Amino acid sequence: MRPFDSLTLMQFLWAALSIFGFAIRTNLKGFSILLTALGGGLSWAFYLISLYYTKSPLLSVLISTILVCSYSELVAPRFKTPVSVFVICAIIPLVPGSGLYYTMRAYLDQNMTEASSRMLQTLMIAGTISIGIAIVSSVTNLIHRVMNKL
Amino acid sequence: MISIKEVTELALESARIILQSGGTTNRCEKIMSRVCAVFGYHKTESFVTPTGLFITVMDKDHTANTQLMRIETRRIDLGKISQLTRYINELSQCGKKGNCPDYSEVMRRLKEIDAFSPYPEWLKLLLGGLTSACFCLLFGGSWLETGVAYLVGLMVSISLRYIAILQVNSFLTNALGAALIVLFAKTLDLYIIGIKLDTIIIGGIMLLVPGLAITNAMRDMMSGDLVSGTARAIEAFLISVAIAAGSGSMLKIWSLVGY
Repeated sequence: MRPFDSLTLMQFLWAALSIFGFAIRTNLKGFSILLTALGGGLSWAFYLISLYYTKSPLLSVLISTILVCSYSELVAPRFKTPVSVFVICAIIPLVPGSGLYYTMRAYLDQNMTEASSRMLQTLMIAGTISIGIAIVSSVTNLIHRVMNKL
Repeated sequence: MISIKEVTELALESARIILQSGGTTNRCEKIMSRVCAVFGYHKTESFVTPTGLFITVMDKDHTANTQLMRIETRRIDLGKISQLTRYINELSQCGKKGNCPDYSEVMRRLKEIDAFSPYPEWLKLLLGGLTSACFCLLFGGSWLETGVAYLVGLMVSISLRYIAILQVNSFLTNALGAALIVLFAKTLDLYIIGIKLDTIIIGGIMLLVPGLAITNAMRDMMSGDLVSGTARAIEAFLISVAIAAGSGSMLKIWSLVGY
C-alpha cells in the first residue's frame, strides 16, 4: 500500500467517522465534533504514512501521537475547549485494542510464543502513546512558561 | 460579597462536575482556585485525586474553611467539561469587571450544565454501532462484517447502558461488556455465513479501550500530580485486563459448549 492513495483516504474517513460517533456519544457539541473527528482521522493517517516510510510500528505510533497532540494543543485553545478533550478523541484509533484481542486468542490457542510477543507489542504501543502525550504536554508547559516570562 | 462557605460550595460543585465527566485533576485544581478568585478569595489550596476533592479557602482575616468531597461514579462526558470551562471563563470575565453574579445564580447555572444532555439516548446508541462498525472497516473487515459489527456495537451499547444502571465498578463493567461482545458476535456467526469474527470483535472492543485513562494519566503526571497520574495508569491497566479477561473467558466458554 502506497501512502496518499485512495486506500489511505478511505482509512482516514473510517477513523474520522468512528471518532465522530465517539464525540457525539460523549456529548460534544457544534464545530468541535468535526475537529475531533478530523484529529482522529489524522492520527490514523499519520500512522499509516509513517508506517510506510519507517516500517516500524512503534516509531510510527510515536510520530503520529506527537503530531496529533500538537494539533490538539494548537486547535483546542481557539475553541476554548480543554486540550485533553481533543487528545482523548484523537488517540483512540491508536490504542492497541486489536493487540489485546490477539494476545488473548493466542493464549487460548496455547500458543505461548505468539501470546507473549503480542502482549509485549501491545504494552510497548500503549507505553509509546503515553510517551508521545508526555513529550508534547511537557514541551507545551515549557513554552507557556517561557511565553509568560517574556 | 458572598460568604466563604458558599464560595467553597461553588468551587466544589464545579470541580465535581469536571472530575465526574473525566477531566484531569490539574484542571479541577485550576477551576477551583479560579472560582474562588472570581469572588475575591485569592488564597486557596486544593488537592484533587481521581476519587476525592479537598479544598481550603482562606479570607483576608486568615479564617479558613475546608471541605472535602468523595467522588463515587465517573463517566466520560467531554461535552460537560468544555461547557463548564467556557462558563468559568465567562465568570472570570464578569469578575474582572466587578459585576459577578450571586450564589444562587451561579449554583443554578452549574446545576443546569450538570443536567444538560444535548442528544437523545437512542442517537447515542446508534452512534455506538457506527463507531464499532468503522473500526471493523479500519482493521480490514468486509462490508458484511461491518454490518454485523454495527449490530454488535448497537447491542453492546444498549447492554452497557443497562449495566450502568446497576452501578457496578468499572472492572466488572468492562469485563461484562467484552464478554457480551464475544457472545453477540458468536451468536450472529451461527446465522450469518462467511464472516470472520476477529475484526468484528476488535471493532466492539474499541468501544471499551481506555483512551481517556491513558491520556489523563500522562497529562496528570506531566503536570506534577503523581498520585492521580499513577492511579489513572493503574485504571487503564485494569480496564485492559478486564477487557482481555472478559473476552477470553467468553471465547473459552463458547468453545467448551461446542458450537
